[in-house]
Amino acid sequence: MSIQFKSIVELRGMLDEKLISASELTQETLQLAKKYQELNCFVTMNDEVATKKASGIIPSDEISSWLEGMPLAQKDLFCTKGLRTTCSSKILADFIPPYTATAVEKLEDAGAITIGKTNMDEFAMGSSNETSFFGNVHNPWKKGYVPGGSSGGSAAAVAAGIVPAATGTDTGGSIRQPAAHCGITGLKPTYGRVSRWGMIAFASSLDQAGPLARTAEDCAILLNSMSGYDSKDTTSLNSDVPDFLANINQPIDGVKIGIIKEFNLGELDSEVQARFEESIKTYEKLGAQFVEVSLPNISASVPTYYSIAPAECSSNLSRFDGVRFGHRAENTDDLNDLYIKSRSEGFGDEVKRRILIGTYALSAGYYDAYYKKAQQVRRLIKNDFDHVFQSVDILMTPTSPNTAFKFGSKGTQNPVELYLEDLFTISSNLAGLPAISIPHGQVNSLPAGLQLIGNFLKEDQLLNAAHLFQKNSDFHLAQPNLEDFS
Amino acid sequence: MDQETVRTICYLARLEIDQKKSNKIQKDLETIIELIGGLQTIDTLDIEPLYNPLEMTASTHEDIVNSDNEKEKFLKNAPASNEDYFLVPRVVE
Repeated sequence: MSIQFKSIVELRGMLDEKLISASELTQETLQLAKKYQELNCFVTMNDEVATKKASGIIPSDEISSWLEGMPLAQKDLFCTKGLRTTCSSKILADFIPPYTATAVEKLEDAGAITIGKTNMDEFAMGSSNETSFFGNVHNPWKKGYVPGGSSGGSAAAVAAGIVPAATGTDTGGSIRQPAAHCGITGLKPTYGRVSRWGMIAFASSLDQAGPLARTAEDCAILLNSMSGYDSKDTTSLNSDVPDFLANINQPIDGVKIGIIKEFNLGELDSEVQARFEESIKTYEKLGAQFVEVSLPNISASVPTYYSIAPAECSSNLSRFDGVRFGHRAENTDDLNDLYIKSRSEGFGDEVKRRILIGTYALSAGYYDAYYKKAQQVRRLIKNDFDHVFQSVDILMTPTSPNTAFKFGSKGTQNPVELYLEDLFTISSNLAGLPAISIPHGQVNSLPAGLQLIGNFLKEDQLLNAAHLFQKNSDFHLAQPNLEDFS
Repeated sequence: MDQETVRTICYLARLEIDQKKSNKIQKDLETIIELIGGLQTIDTLDIEPLYNPLEMTASTHEDIVNSDNEKEKFLKNAPASNEDYFLVPRVVE
């Protein structure tokens, strides 16, 4: 029986019924990764350690944890002890962390087997996975098309059925947008729900780790393990973690879903609109009620984000100086020259662009006009969310205004063109809210995603609504034809 | 944004830009600054900045050495080190 395209729940059943052993599952997963290496999903494989860990798992008649023996892929932004972690950057091309990120450690402690590290936009800066030092990742649905970004390798590995699930991080949509473009499910939890310790920082007040999987049910399983307070992360939330899996079969009669007036969905591609209308009907049949709501400042999300995120990035990335770790330039005149040459050789163009914008926004004379102003608008955006969540339970939007596009077709002349792809996803990062993307059909033979945004710490509501949608549709079961990649 | 400003920001960020790409970078930065400059039209009088969505003070812990604090392991990733320190080009003659 093939393991390809199987969910965690299905693989758990196969393991528990002894149709397959943990060792066989890991070996078949590694073989699938090799077979489809042209997708370029992985930067580094973890064959040896994965094989050893899997062989130590003895089948028993006891009830196993969901993740015992489950192969997972980790975004190459999570530090993994003894396993190269590059953030898809030349500057970290040889970096071997001495510790493991808490989110990954929790999954591994629950029995998961890390089979490799996935490709991504360099330092998570991008929406198409085209900024990786290790090359583009192909969308499994169409060769030469982007998988979305920045967690593009994780999304493609799940969509190609290589692994049942993978970790990702989301600073402005980096879990949800690639999940949408690849036809899978991806959840960005509430800011602080999952520890950021051991994640290589991009924008510290926006970054959040979360799962990418084939179903909302599988995302609930991963989130159960990943969540929880961590004293090593100073912004970790010390609040109760519900059992997300136990909560996903609740009826949604009377649940109020808001449609955001300011997003002008009527201006989108007619097929994107059609999928959205169909999803509204699906939820209406399930008993949900729809209302139009207004978030007057939400249209300012993109400029707000592109002031705050680069500012935080310019500060965070100052640690890459060629001294303590990472690339060091040769033949330098003095210490200052070493900093400049190491950074200039090590960072790619998009990372440099964002560091420069951030440096400008934080520099004397411009701080109030750009950085402080953006943080003030950020509060207005959060106030808008606080206000609408007094009258609705969930907000619903398309995940992305478009489906996947051809390599090199967006943002090369004007970077802002690519930034606008994040229009629907960015606001939940600014406000720290949870949001999920689920597949809801196709547009021109490419997957389209539906986004549900929830109130603070309401991941359970989102997972429940997403699960009910998947129980009443089969979009999440669609599989790409991978002939072009093997 | 003129070339002189671009040069100043580059120096502050300890980056140098390939001369062939200099005009393109300048144009890109102008486009992005124009995008974020659009925020000026929004009235934010008396609005407190929101620096973190949780609005909580970062938690602190005791400053004690623990098992995560192992010198040898961290020095191992350094491009140049001896058994105690990271090595850099001489800064004092």
